Amino acid sequence: MSTTIELVARREGDEVALLAPGPGWFTRALPEGALVGGGAAVGVLRVLGREHALRAPAGVHGRVVSARPERIDEPVGAGVELYRLAPLAAGDDAGAAAGPAEAAATGLVLTSPQTGRFYHRPGPDEPAFAAPGDELAEGQPVGLIEVMKTFAHVPYRAQAGLPQRARVVRVLVEDGAEVRRDQPLLEVEPA
Amino acid sequence: MFHKLLIANRGEVAVRIARTAREMGVAVVGVASEADLGASWLDAMDEVVALGGAAPRDSYLDMAKVLQAGVQTGCTAVHPGWGFLAENPRFAALAEQHGMTFLGPSAAVMARLGTKLPSKAAFRAAGLAGIPGSAAPLADVEEALRLADEIGYPVMIKADAGGGGRGIRKCADASEVREAFGAARAEAEAAFGDGALFVEKCVEGGRHVEVQIVCDRFGDAIHVGERDCSVQRNHQKLIEESPCPLLSDEQRAHFGAAAARAAAAIGYVGAGTIEFLRAPDGELYFMEMNARLQVEHPVSEMVSGLDLVRLQLEVAANRALSVRQDEIALTGCAIECRINAEDPTEDFRPTPGVLEAYDFPLDVGPGTLRYDTHLTAGDEVPPYYDSLLGKLIAHGDTREQAIETLLAGLAAARVEGVATTIPLHRAVLESEEFRANDYDTTAIPGWSRTPSRS
Repeated sequence: MSTTIELVARREGDEVALLAPGPGWFTRALPEGALVGGGAAVGVLRVLGREHALRAPAGVHGRVVSARPERIDEPVGAGVELYRLAPLAAGDDAGAAAGPAEAAATGLVLTSPQTGRFYHRPGPDEPAFAAPGDELAEGQPVGLIEVMKTFAHVPYRAQAGLPQRARVVRVLVEDGAEVRRDQPLLEVEPA
Repeated sequence: MFHKLLIANRGEVAVRIARTAREMGVAVVGVASEADLGASWLDAMDEVVALGGAAPRDSYLDMAKVLQAGVQTGCTAVHPGWGFLAENPRFAALAEQHGMTFLGPSAAVMARLGTKLPSKAAFRAAGLAGIPGSAAPLADVEEALRLADEIGYPVMIKADAGGGGRGIRKCADASEVREAFGAARAEAEAAFGDGALFVEKCVEGGRHVEVQIVCDRFGDAIHVGERDCSVQRNHQKLIEESPCPLLSDEQRAHFGAAAARAAAAIGYVGAGTIEFLRAPDGELYFMEMNARLQVEHPVSEMVSGLDLVRLQLEVAANRALSVRQDEIALTGCAIECRINAEDPTEDFRPTPGVLEAYDFPLDVGPGTLRYDTHLTAGDEVPPYYDSLLGKLIAHGDTREQAIETLLAGLAAARVEGVATTIPLHRAVLESEEFRANDYDTTAIPGWSRTPSRS
């Protein structure tokens, strides 16, 4: 069983600091440069052997400007700064930036399993795998990801706080866009 | 010995444990809620892990947060102190499960001590009799009436899982038992989720006497004399002393040895306290066992010269008791006052705030003084936790000398910024009732029930 914990946000001028909610081993951190919006998956906190998915709190968005922790399992206490977010620049992907900000409504996003290029549809003339309003079940493909010239389906996975059946609210990245691992792809709501 | 100890507590408790642990070369890891971050008492720790949250349930009572703090700092043992998670069997079990030795009895022994009837039965089998009453939960009101006739009125109807005065009814005759039975059962079910009731003889007044014991993992047990904790307000102890001035030497030896034997017999490990009620007729009845070190342990340390936290750490680290019963000599008398941030003239209203002045000179005689505290001038007393500022303990050759020393220490103390219980302690220690032992747990000697509001 996994649970979801929201990080604590502290606004400092233009920047936002995201703070650990309690003691634990912090792991699967986002890299420097990742875009973060409200509800985005931002790593995992292991407490007494149990994994808690970490989410950015609602209304927060920006680009990670802090470095990834040196250790894979970084011991942290409450109030320790995990990320520092700078405001989005002009060149940032508007979809990723605006989407997560709105994802605050439900706080549920499906994130990319790998870094690569994400495609909405199986071929140029075919319909998209997942469009707003579509229902998703466990394992159902939501797009293709191209990694080192090989294509793989990106399946819907009901994990890290996502429901068994979900409805697509919006697609957060452009067709053919570069995505990073753990970057939000779809905003969903329970179906 | 352990290399690193997690202290799952705060304030005066944490500072007391840290002092002995560091003397023994054990590094200590403290935990702190949001409200305690930056507090001066954290300087006594080698490392501190922030738990978040100010409320106890979000910090010091959150088992996963507290234990994770120990896991990620490499602790191999956890001292729960007193209060918070100290008598929680789940916490004890969870600590062991995550590789930390719990300084206290096993979870199973602790769970048994947490219920009244199984605990009473275990101690009766080990030779300590409780107040006469039922040996098993009552089946129905008829059984209650039959037992009440046997032991004689008045009787108390009590909830087996009870505590805090709930689910308790005093009955003067059979009609009151009939009346109280249903109500007590409903109250117990609502409050504790367990409607089991028992009946026992009503013993009113009397004195609270408790024996300090320490057991190792090899079945050996010692007792370190007894404490009298009868100056109480609503079951909250205010003044404790050792020895109990009302016990004869024979009673002291008999109940001390019996308590140590009983604790060893139930498989207890660590420091614990066996509580007795001394009835007005001089009889001692077993009440319960507290599976922890207690707030008032310094009075036992002052008369014995032992360090009880050291003994706890030694037996938890699988060492045999480092002191034998015949090596323990109790000398003189020690009395402790709990200095709380409460206004005794305003119905003990808590008074959190900033300590503008805070000084307890210990160089006043004729005996010796010790002050256990976690605070210093300029510190803030947060409103989230209990109101204890510190404990002033005096030791003298005689009870009179201890009283005199304590009064001198209280007179020299200076606390500004918050109200304290110092005026109450001075009134009690000066009173004829306290000096002549003419009081019981139902009223504070030398302190009027309806204080003047000047």
